[in-house]
Amino acid sequence: MTDQTSERGELSYTRVFDAPRALVFRCMIEPEHLTHFWGPIGVRTPVESIKVDARPGGVFEAVMVSEGDGSQYLMRAVYVEVVAPDRLVWTEPDTGVTTTSTFLDLGDARTEVHIRQTNVPEAFRSPQARAGFSTSLDRFAAYLGKLTGEASR
Amino acid sequence: MEMPRLEDDQLDATFTALADPTRRAIVARLARGDATVNELAAPFDMTLPGVSKHLKMLERCGLISRTRRAQFRPCHLERAALDAAVDWIEEHRRVWMERFDKLDEHLRDIQRAPSTRKESP
Repeated sequence: MTDQTSERGELSYTRVFDAPRALVFRCMIEPEHLTHFWGPIGVRTPVESIKVDARPGGVFEAVMVSEGDGSQYLMRAVYVEVVAPDRLVWTEPDTGVTTTSTFLDLGDARTEVHIRQTNVPEAFRSPQARAGFSTSLDRFAAYLGKLTGEASR
Repeated sequence: MEMPRLEDDQLDATFTALADPTRRAIVARLARGDATVNELAAPFDMTLPGVSKHLKMLERCGLISRTRRAQFRPCHLERAALDAAVDWIEEHRRVWMERFDKLDEHLRDIQRAPSTRKESP
C-alpha cells in the first residue's frame, strides 16, 4: 500500500485481521463486541454504555472508563454512512473529526481494515510542514515519519 | 486518563492557525529563532499588514508571542502550544493501534471458542 497520508491530508491506519469480513464488520457495530476492544490499553468500555444505531443519522456513543483512576470519557459520534460489510462513516460533533472505516475482503478469511480520519489539521500531515521544521523540532518530524511508516505498512 | 481529551478551544485555534501554508512557514521560520515582522515578511510576496494579520492569528492561539517593549517586537515560537497539538494527534494514533491489537485478540477469541460467543439479539 502506498502512503497517502501526506498527499491527501488525512491520518490513516491499516490492519489485517484473521477473520472474515462480515464478522469484523459486526465487531465494529455491535456493543457486545465493541466492549472487548473499543477502549485502548487501560480503558474499559462497559457494554451498557455503548449505544449503536447503525444507520445514517444514528448515534454511536460509548463511555470509556479509565482502569487507573475511574475517570470517564464520553465518545459521541453520529453515523454518516453504514454500508455492511464494506464501509462505515461516522463523525464526532465535539471534535469535527470524521472517521471512515473500510473493510476489504482479502480472501482466506482475512480482512483488511482501513481507518481514515479527516478534518484533522492540515499542518500535521503536509510535506511542507515536514520540510520546514528545524532540527529542534525533531520530535515533530520523527512523528510524521512514523505516521508515514504506519500508513505504508 | 490518557484519552484524546483536549483543551478544545486552544487546540482548535492551533489547528486552524496551522491549516494555512503561510502561517506554517512562519512557524517553521520561528522554529529557527525569533524574528521581526520585516524578517518574516521577506520570503513572502505579501504586504506587512498581510503578514501582521497572520501573526495576530498565531498570537491569539498562543503559538507565538511578541515582546511588548522592544521596538521591533520580535516574534517568538511557543513550543508548548505546538507540542500540545502534536500530542493530540499522537494520542489518536495510539488509541487506534491499541484498539486494533485488542480487536485482533477478540477476533481470535470468538473464532477459537464459538460456543462461548455472545450473540447479539
